[in-house]
Amino acid sequence: MNCVTCKNQVEAYLEGELSQGAGIQMEDHLSSCKECAALYRTMLLVNRITAEEKNVEPNPFLATRILARIEGLEEVRSKRPNPFAQKVLKPVLISVSIAVAVFFGVLTGGIYQTDSIRGQVPVELSYLNDASMESVEFYANN
Amino acid sequence: MTDLEIIQLVLHNDRAYFRLLVEKYQKLVFRTCMGYLHHKEDAEDLTQEIFVQVYQSLATYKSEATFPTWLYRISVNASLNHLRKASKWGFFQRFENRFESDVPIPSTENPEELFIQDEHRIWVNKALDSLPEKQRTAIVLSKYDDLSQKEIAAVMLTTEGAVEALLQRAKANLRVKLQTKQKKNQK
Repeated sequence: MNCVTCKNQVEAYLEGELSQGAGIQMEDHLSSCKECAALYRTMLLVNRITAEEKNVEPNPFLATRILARIEGLEEVRSKRPNPFAQKVLKPVLISVSIAVAVFFGVLTGGIYQTDSIRGQVPVELSYLNDASMESVEFYANN
Repeated sequence: MTDLEIIQLVLHNDRAYFRLLVEKYQKLVFRTCMGYLHHKEDAEDLTQEIFVQVYQSLATYKSEATFPTWLYRISVNASLNHLRKASKWGFFQRFENRFESDVPIPSTENPEELFIQDEHRIWVNKALDSLPEKQRTAIVLSKYDDLSQKEIAAVMLTTEGAVEALLQRAKANLRVKLQTKQKKNQK
């Protein structure tokens, strides 16, 4: 057996798929060729490592964790308000409350009067200048 | 009770029956995830995500494929998506994996031998991870899940011939990658 055939058949040899004759030829070649022997050992290592990973057992509580997660998702879903309330009622309520707030704002704004409007001085009194008059306080102090 | 009967019960709001499916198939999903992620905790988290996805899309399951085949498809796609997302954080993942290994260490008392075994595990996993997605899927389903070429073809929605070719190419690629690494080590 030459190196090319050996490289092509090393996987089949590892999996026990070669005939008895081909298996013996393979063993002869592996004992005489260092490079092919190294390849054989590497492929053996791949099989060993994948087998080790394959045999790793999951946590015994994995199923419980999965079901608890699904339970949690279902609870959240059942608490969620219905889509009609979410899509129609919510925007309607928001618009109505804004409209009511604006209406009352305008209404209360109308009631309020500034000093300039409320305390308007009659025209005849506006000429009266009381700055020169002495105050009661002036007589009391003197 | 068959898988289909259980699915019908779950779909008719008998959620408790989903436990039967989880208990029956959790190892199948976990093994597939392990083949892609090589890390126990990550594989468990992904298994959990996959079962949530399965529960939410159970109504879309059509009995054209068997339930395990459907489950394998979801597991393969979820694992590949997880890896694509994780590759964005590749540096941190590699750093973490360098120090964490959940695979039981074979009994040996020689620390040097332990180190070499760990190194070997890293470069074998690296070589497996560097295979193109389809070849990698074929290898994972064949080596980790022990599926026949016919079953792999059903999962990958392809022909048996195509799976055979994929497996051959995957093994040849793996051999070349490992040989190159081995030669580098010898220098």
